[in-house]
Amino acid sequence: MTASAEAQRLLPRPLLITLTVLLCAMVLAPILYIVLASLNTDVGVAGGEFWPSTFSGESYTQIWTTADLSTGIVNSLVVCALTAVASALLGTTTAYVLVRYAFFGRLTILRGLVGLQSIPGTLMLLPVFVLFSSAGNYLGLTVIGTRWGLFVAYLTFALPFSTWVMVTYLRGMPRELEEAARTEGASTLVILWRIVFPLSLPAIVVSGIFAFLLGWNDVLFASVLTRPETQTAAVALQIFGSTQEGGALPVYSQMMAASLICAAPVVLLYLAFQRYLVGGLTAGGVK
Amino acid sequence: MGVNSTLTPEVRTAKPTPQRRRRGVTERQRPLWLLTPGGVLMVLVILIPLVLALWISAIDLDQYTLRRWIEAPFIGLDNYVESVGSGLLHSVWISVSFAVLATVATVPIGIAAALVTQNPYRGRAIVRAVFLIPYVLPSFVVATVWRTMLQPDGIVNATLAKAGVDGGLWLSGPKSYWTLVLVEIWAAWPFIYLMALAALQSVDIEVHEASAVDGVTWWSKLRRVILPYLRGPVLLACLLATLNHINNFTLPFVLFGAPAPDDVNVMPMLVYVTSFQSLRFGLSAAMAVVSLILIAIPLFAYLRAVRLDVHEEGARR
Repeated sequence: MTASAEAQRLLPRPLLITLTVLLCAMVLAPILYIVLASLNTDVGVAGGEFWPSTFSGESYTQIWTTADLSTGIVNSLVVCALTAVASALLGTTTAYVLVRYAFFGRLTILRGLVGLQSIPGTLMLLPVFVLFSSAGNYLGLTVIGTRWGLFVAYLTFALPFSTWVMVTYLRGMPRELEEAARTEGASTLVILWRIVFPLSLPAIVVSGIFAFLLGWNDVLFASVLTRPETQTAAVALQIFGSTQEGGALPVYSQMMAASLICAAPVVLLYLAFQRYLVGGLTAGGVK
Repeated sequence: MGVNSTLTPEVRTAKPTPQRRRRGVTERQRPLWLLTPGGVLMVLVILIPLVLALWISAIDLDQYTLRRWIEAPFIGLDNYVESVGSGLLHSVWISVSFAVLATVATVPIGIAAALVTQNPYRGRAIVRAVFLIPYVLPSFVVATVWRTMLQPDGIVNATLAKAGVDGGLWLSGPKSYWTLVLVEIWAAWPFIYLMALAALQSVDIEVHEASAVDGVTWWSKLRRVILPYLRGPVLLACLLATLNHINNFTLPFVLFGAPAPDDVNVMPMLVYVTSFQSLRFGLSAAMAVVSLILIAIPLFAYLRAVRLDVHEEGARR
């Protein structure tokens, strides 16, 4: 170890090792149990086994017939992908104007973008529900229970969040290229399409992923605005979980498998985009 | 230094210098029309519902009047008065105490985790990845697996029984409150960790070297030199974390189901059950507005603390 690295040392070695082991154990103990239980049999888990007496991947095959997970996953993917694309593209355009141009009300909009992320979901859901349910009455449209309705509802959170992620990114981007292009006579749209979008592509992807995750992780909106054919993965898992208790043999092994399946897309996205996503996590404080 | 620069260290270096900023904006050709698509959509899906929520809280809206809600009778503040008698204050207390407890408990864990991963060593990347697991997992997954583990005959009680302790009921009765707090702590501490880590990385190398030259012990270096650097960012993280705890609907909903046991009837659960199970939309809107007021206090503190703007022209307005 070099002298400089030695100087930066924060904790004595024994304390560092103890703390690291404790923290890792706190995180990994439940995770280990979940993985083991999903590889166990339902009978084994119900019997309180930690280490499976027989390992089997059965739970991962049975779950698709026990719970309506595949419908949920397809619905989640469709709705969340739509939300991601729409809010990333609109968010980028809005953020660009907010960052590059001064105009009246700009600071209010910026404050609003941050503030909106902390508005209780229940407060937004209520009027959205009333509007959607009366759309049938006043306009002759069915909105509740459709994927479109859910998509619009998710925009209420995804749009301000994506815009904010883009604001934090774009204001760090040097403006020389844009100015050069403007001197050459390029229009704003050309600049946006040819310069801003390509240069900020990583951030656009991140803001889209966050919008996707907001939708994927949501239970509140989906539990009210969907019907069985349009329910999302989160709602499918929640319903599956709450119907287990009181039955003859709760299928806890399958439930653990289902939980891991629902977590898989999120974990994969994080693994793939880890570097970018961790920065964004702290930018907005939204999961 | 504004908080945003500590939050996103990679952006800080690229911030425009004052000279660069000055020749930026052309006031004459501002393409404000570009705001239209995003702006119109935000007004439609956010502003209108928010105003409508305020209106609903002042009308007598239930399942009978829902289909023609425009004609529902206006009753002023009656919903607010009624909500006080419907367990509102109890839920406010549960929500606030739960949020504060969870925040306070996550701070030492998060800072400890940041301290142990700041200095490089072999395998640090793996430890950092492990620390993010609880945060990355979706809330509904976290809640589902803890709900399973905390069943009366679940693994937690089986393990406790081996140690000679009777676990009892975790998901109903008075202990459910502590279940909620503990699971929230398990899921939320990495947020404090991330913010503390970002702040640690902003400590200059000279600071470390100066303390090494002075030969101070690790503890006084930590207490007098390093922790002061963390105070601002961690306080800010606490505000955000508290907001997120108060607004957390998924965890109590999936852990305990709706209606929730009385001991964990937090604000979001109360609003949800009042509107979508009791179908008293007006009453629940009043409750939701109260919860908005509740979060407004930490939210305004946060908005004041964060420097939103780096644009000098905009800042003047």
